[in-house]
Amino acid sequence: MENISGSIKKKDHEAKINGSALYVDDHLMDGMLYGRMLHSAKAKARITKIILPELPEGYLIVDKNDVTGVNRVAIIIHDTPVYAEDTVEYVGEPILMVVGPDDQVVETILHKIVVVYEEKIPVLDMLTSDTVFFDYNYTKGDMDKALAEADRVFIETFQTGYQEQAYLETQGLIAYPQDGRMTVRGSMQCPYYVHSAVANAIGCEGKDVQIIQDVTGGGFGGKEAFPSILACQVAVAAKKANKPVKVIFDRREDMEFTSKRHPSLSTYKVAIKNGEITGMDIDVLFNSGAYTTLSAVVLQRGLICANGVYRIDNLRVGGRAVKTNTVPCGAYRGFGAPQTFFAVEMIMDHIAKEMGLDSLELKEKYMVKQGDSTSTSGKYHFHVPLPEMIQRIDELTDYRAKRKQYQQQIGRYRKGIGLSMFFHGCGFTGSGERDIIKAVAKIRKNPDNTVEILASNADIGQGLKTTFCKIVADTLGISYDRVYIDNPDTDRVPDSGPTVASRSLMTVGGLLQRAAEKLKKEWQEGKEQVIEEHFVEPDFVIPFNLKDFSGDAYPTYSWSVNAIEVEVDTLTATTKILGAWGIFDVGVPIDMNIVMGQMEGGFLQGIGYASMEQMDYNAKGIIRNNSFSDYIIPTAVDVPNLVAEIMNNPYTHGPYGAKGAGELPLVGAAPAYVEAMENALGANLNKVPFTPEDVMKILQGVNT
Amino acid sequence: MMINFILNGQKVVSTAKANERLLDILRTEFACTGVKCGCKEGECGACSVIIDGKLVNSCMVAMGYVESCTVMTIEGYRKTERFAVLDTSYASVSAVQCGFCTPGMVLASECILAKNPNPTEAEIREGISGNLCRCTGYNAIVQAISIAAKEGKGLW
Amino acid sequence: MVNGYQATSLKEALKILAKESVTPYSGGTDLMIDPEEHATFLFLARISEMKNIIEDTEYLRIGAACTFTEIIENELVPEILKEAAAQIAAPAIRNLATIGGNICNGSAKGDSALILFATDAKLRLVSSRGERVLPIAEFYLGRKKTALKSDELLVEILIDRINLSNYYYKKVGARDALAISRVSFAAILNVADGKIVNCMTAFGAVSDIIIRRPDIDAMLVGKTTKEAKVVKKEYIAAYDQAIIPIKGRISAEYRKAVCMNLLRDFLESNGI
Repeated sequence: MENISGSIKKKDHEAKINGSALYVDDHLMDGMLYGRMLHSAKAKARITKIILPELPEGYLIVDKNDVTGVNRVAIIIHDTPVYAEDTVEYVGEPILMVVGPDDQVVETILHKIVVVYEEKIPVLDMLTSDTVFFDYNYTKGDMDKALAEADRVFIETFQTGYQEQAYLETQGLIAYPQDGRMTVRGSMQCPYYVHSAVANAIGCEGKDVQIIQDVTGGGFGGKEAFPSILACQVAVAAKKANKPVKVIFDRREDMEFTSKRHPSLSTYKVAIKNGEITGMDIDVLFNSGAYTTLSAVVLQRGLICANGVYRIDNLRVGGRAVKTNTVPCGAYRGFGAPQTFFAVEMIMDHIAKEMGLDSLELKEKYMVKQGDSTSTSGKYHFHVPLPEMIQRIDELTDYRAKRKQYQQQIGRYRKGIGLSMFFHGCGFTGSGERDIIKAVAKIRKNPDNTVEILASNADIGQGLKTTFCKIVADTLGISYDRVYIDNPDTDRVPDSGPTVASRSLMTVGGLLQRAAEKLKKEWQEGKEQVIEEHFVEPDFVIPFNLKDFSGDAYPTYSWSVNAIEVEVDTLTATTKILGAWGIFDVGVPIDMNIVMGQMEGGFLQGIGYASMEQMDYNAKGIIRNNSFSDYIIPTAVDVPNLVAEIMNNPYTHGPYGAKGAGELPLVGAAPAYVEAMENALGANLNKVPFTPEDVMKILQGVNT
Repeated sequence: MMINFILNGQKVVSTAKANERLLDILRTEFACTGVKCGCKEGECGACSVIIDGKLVNSCMVAMGYVESCTVMTIEGYRKTERFAVLDTSYASVSAVQCGFCTPGMVLASECILAKNPNPTEAEIREGISGNLCRCTGYNAIVQAISIAAKEGKGLW
Repeated sequence: MVNGYQATSLKEALKILAKESVTPYSGGTDLMIDPEEHATFLFLARISEMKNIIEDTEYLRIGAACTFTEIIENELVPEILKEAAAQIAAPAIRNLATIGGNICNGSAKGDSALILFATDAKLRLVSSRGERVLPIAEFYLGRKKTALKSDELLVEILIDRINLSNYYYKKVGARDALAISRVSFAAILNVADGKIVNCMTAFGAVSDIIIRRPDIDAMLVGKTTKEAKVVKKEYIAAYDQAIIPIKGRISAEYRKAVCMNLLRDFLESNGI
């Protein structure tokens, strides 16, 4: 283990464990008002009338007419209204906000408001959508030829469902006007995203907006774009009231109406000739929901990894993110990759079975190695540690033997084991880092020789404050206690980009390391010094072109192999997880405890996605799984035997050899789980979550 | 009529109505903001407090219920020797991530150890099974409690 | 106390209940999920008559205000009830939630209520007018509807002192803690002198009311295991007709299949 990997007490530990850390709902301000949103009750309708009750003094209604700037939230495409205009496009769309000094009175007023809708027929099923938001296609080799010459073509469709981030702290923000400026503070991952959105909505210059991240109770992607929407609404309210306004979502509101993982349908056509896989023709469909939010980039990532970790010479990948009258989907840890990795891992498994091979044997035959070409004709520039990961998994689990042993079982309890192999492309897809984000980070040495880190990346629990400080302290050769970082405040920190895409440590951490190296050289005792570093794309990167999806979509990749062992109770169709093992390569861990916490936590979220986290809308477009009793996430007793191991594979261009970590552990849990279920049940399966009801259908021989 | 109870070792009187949630009153009237609100349905444990030695979800408690009771929140517990042991053990394995479940988790840890100073891993997991954590995958928290059991000999 | 009354004796509680419009509050874990804004609670946790667990010659008597933690920790309580209680929610809820609340909630998903159905428990209901003892099956009138009068309190649960050690219990939830039953099944079967002396089964969370059909179970009573095997098919067919799961988020087909599987397994585990 490298020195830097040794663990240290986290910077945020003390305040969080003793309860003194202030999250947004813990802040009170003089004269502060409370806001509650009126959400659309209909999936698609024209609003013909809104009947308001008489408002007590001090209470007000805020809606589209109060938006002093543009009534659109600046995300990638500016299509999400701040407040609904004449129509509503999904159940939950914000129509107006009731604001006032007493939260309960606000609630009472909210219930008295009558909205008269002229209902229209909503499009709920993505297969019937008539609006394609994004449509991407790319090819490699000659897929038509591969199909024409194939002696066998496998075709199968795979389905994945919603996943809700289920961070423990719900969405919440406070906005307050001050000296002609607007400040918004609260729970968020990306202060500068919120910054542009607020300036656009209230119609002011960027210099008149200040965004402050408060201690944030988890994000997992759910606080990437959504806070931009809420911030516009709250800022408009604060501007109208000319007072601080706080909005905290309740759990049901948060689960039902905020962004979640895109449901998907992926159809794979795999050409086989002379027992060899010669090509994959892949069609991916993502349900975007009513507005585009981040669907474009989520889809891009999903498509780029649609062939998994396999060397497929002929490839045709097409994908669409379509509009439906459902809640807009957005970022969630893995960002499009869990959907297509599930599909490709399963189809490889099914092909193997048909060919009379063990699934792992087939996968090993095609898995990529250093120097191979990627799906987008870029290059795997660095060592691919999959073979040693597979070996380690086999040592830990006796996978190969068990897999055979479990093929023939009778009796009430049936066991199964499954394996997945996957990567996560580190950082933004394509040239986003170079062309759009252009990250800037600073460090400032104070006269007392302490050093402050100035970056816009948010510690949302993943340990960024600690890892950033470790990198700077170690590079400078000073004690960790002398380096500090506050929650980002756009008045104080440069735009080092959002806290997303497993980029913060690798990319911004790299800038900080460079800044610290420079400061070390220029160090002057007792003087204030500021060092600023700008992002530079590494030389080896083959420039990515989004038009034809060519080049290096990512500079490097984090790798993993997962195995999951299950036991199905055939009487109740319930499944016990006997063990879950993950080997992860995230480069050099900058603090082993933190990396282990990311791997274990992400892996468990992935197992939840695969097994129990079920969410769907009904015929009216209403999501009913909107509480912790209806949307079930794993508790401490559900997967007691979860084992994560780190494989050290330094990345030459990352700080201390580190690369992306946060998302990787979620990506491959679903195929490992479902493969295990297949092994136990002796059937081909093609959906997640794979629930007890699905198991029962298989046991009863019902075709799904 | 007021509601009298002992909060973190101090006699207190609340003017709240008997049907209000203890969670809300602790946060607003008594500024115990270490008590977190995660769901208000008894499903997440973020609002856990200890009443008369037992772990409860404060969102599920009406104020009238706490009349004459002893209530401990993280604000009181953090002054104890036992807390210091848990603080160190949680830190040693970095069991705190976003922190929103943490105060409730620490109080659940206390109740596990108070009942059984040498719990098995299964008993620890059972003891925190009502406290959801979305960040850690629970392993680090389980380890932290087990380390506290070893290091805190005699305190529980 | 605004919006609340503290009662320290049963007499006092019944007096308040007779006069005022109040909601009895035992553990609060159901009431507080979505509390009525203007509800006035009558707090029962300090009424010692409702907190006892004692045995007399006929019954095990469990005070309605006993929490599940108290039930799990009490040595008089039969294992079948402890096992069910231990699978309710999580420790913090079990420290508050009471057996009386679980019954008066009127839900067919009540995990302790299932055991009380399977054991043909009786409920002692008391008002300032007097008291009555009702078999639990007669207490449940429909979904969330019970026979409890507005001036009555459920004070005690009475369980016959028969042998409950040969039991079968399975709760099927979505996960291993904090789970609401999707299907639950409890059964007791006693054999004496080679013959089945009682067979009591109950199915929870499938219908508006927990399903308990002594008329069907009677098919097995008085028979040897061998004789029981002869009527097994008929017995299962009778339950196949009797169990009609109501629609819910979890499909009726799934819940029906689980019920029938567990029923068969219960019989097989008893050699039938």
